[in-house]
Amino acid sequence: MTGTEFTAWFGKLKLDANGEIEDCDLFDKDPEKLAEIVVELQNNPQSVPLQRADLRDAALECGFVELDEDYDILLRDVCIRAAKSQISQTDTDDSRIIQAVEALDDIDKNVNELSERLFEWYGRYFPELEMTGEGLANFVSAYGSRTNVPEDHAMSEKASQSMGAELLFADEELLRTFANNICSLYDTRRYIENYINTSMGSVAPNLCEVAGASLGARLMSMAGSLEKLAAFPSSTVQVIGANRALFKHLRSRAPSPKHGIIFNNPVIKNAPWWQRGKLARALAAKISLAARTDFYSGELDPTIKEALDKKLESIRQANPNPPEKKPEAKPQKRGGKRKSRGRKKNKKSGGNN
Amino acid sequence: MPVRELSSGIYELDIDDRKMLATKNMIPGMSVYGERLITDDDTEYRQWDPSRSKLGAMVLKNFDIPLESDSIVLYLGAASGTTVSHVSDILTDGLVYAVEFSPRTMRDLIQLCDQRPNIIPILADANKPQSYAQIVEKADVIFQDVAQPNQAEIAAINSKYFLEEQGHLMLSIKSRSIDTVASPKKIFKEEVRKLESGFDIEFEVLERKELDPFHEDHLGLVAQMFVDDEE
Repeated sequence: MTGTEFTAWFGKLKLDANGEIEDCDLFDKDPEKLAEIVVELQNNPQSVPLQRADLRDAALECGFVELDEDYDILLRDVCIRAAKSQISQTDTDDSRIIQAVEALDDIDKNVNELSERLFEWYGRYFPELEMTGEGLANFVSAYGSRTNVPEDHAMSEKASQSMGAELLFADEELLRTFANNICSLYDTRRYIENYINTSMGSVAPNLCEVAGASLGARLMSMAGSLEKLAAFPSSTVQVIGANRALFKHLRSRAPSPKHGIIFNNPVIKNAPWWQRGKLARALAAKISLAARTDFYSGELDPTIKEALDKKLESIRQANPNPPEKKPEAKPQKRGGKRKSRGRKKNKKSGGNN
Repeated sequence: MPVRELSSGIYELDIDDRKMLATKNMIPGMSVYGERLITDDDTEYRQWDPSRSKLGAMVLKNFDIPLESDSIVLYLGAASGTTVSHVSDILTDGLVYAVEFSPRTMRDLIQLCDQRPNIIPILADANKPQSYAQIVEKADVIFQDVAQPNQAEIAAINSKYFLEEQGHLMLSIKSRSIDTVASPKKIFKEEVRKLESGFDIEFEVLERKELDPFHEDHLGLVAQMFVDDEE
């Protein structure tokens, strides 16, 4: 057998059939350059001979370093540099969208809590004001105390006859600042939403068209990346986000979930219940296709959406009416099954006795 | 304060009749993940929480830990470096190659590597040992704690490339990442069988114990590579 070549982090080695070093071509001792070589080799792995000299011995033998400690120090420096450069390269288009989607969820969660607090708090001073959420935040931030509501405002009559307590100046300032913050959170939310819509259009145009920008971004976030989403089978796409129901189904006799997060697509949300499972399956299939097209080509392919629309229409036409419900059919059947199993066992044991 | 050395570099401290697992702090004054620091006779120890570390749990489960102060260790699945920091404490004259796949946790691990001279970080997939063969030398011990369905296979291929003859493999098998529904006992049995005869290298399993109550559905295992002289 002839010798093999193997590139170590410090140089190119030529090995004979027993893995002993025949010749070596050392790299420069520049940590920055060595780190580049290490990353390059990681991205394009070489075939590694099982019979090979130990790297540390080889480095000492070839005279790359003189002492064991030098080997440790230089290798550590090179590897830290390599890992740092790899980390800085992980900021990809889809990872930015994923961060944005997760920020959106955080804002939603917090803004709801804060709005509820404002509703409770401001309600003491103007309980007749039937506003919630952003409307309330805008109202409080604009007027503060109900005595400041102008006469031409729709609420001015209610404001003058309110049973609410009087709002002291210090509290009014506090409430206004609080409401201002909520308003700016709502603004940020819109800003992020726009960001997602525009970036999804360029990063994943097909996914955006088939699933919608926000759902597409959510799917990417749950999968971890566009690449992972593209690798999922469409049955996974269909139930992703329905983890509890899925595991309940796998563990016990619970029915399988029909849809996970893709329920948020209006196609399924607005459909009558008996069509949802079928529509979800069709939609998930096309979402997978779209994600794959986006990841591997990046070009918009309008035929995916057309095919989806056709398929959805045919499902709707094939199932115009709800199937006949068999009241309590399921539990009875199940109960019966269980009983019959039990009896069989009894019979068996009786026979054995 | 009574201090007992359980294994090389691993100590059991007795504080007010409460036993505590610890290692000698290589960088005195520095706590890595918020663990408690205890000073005794000019030596600083770092508390080691067995419920946050499979290796720590294996120590308390009375495994024979094959780590020595001058061992070369290949650590697969280093995560943010909680356990790696203790391994680094143990290996005062050794070196640990810490392989981790997730860039997010690697960020934390690198902070640790910046402080400690004996950790070499590698951002790579433990499924592909070829991708870091240019860096890693022969190791005395491979410690593996990866949440992957093919845990036994990963251990086998890495041992094939990097484990010294007669070297030790320490494995934490998480049954939940192999099959969420099947019974853990069955999975453990199957994985041990795979290790003993499923691949082209063989292991002799020296010890195996479940790691409860510290970690549920985890099996700890220490094996030695079985060298076939005929080949």
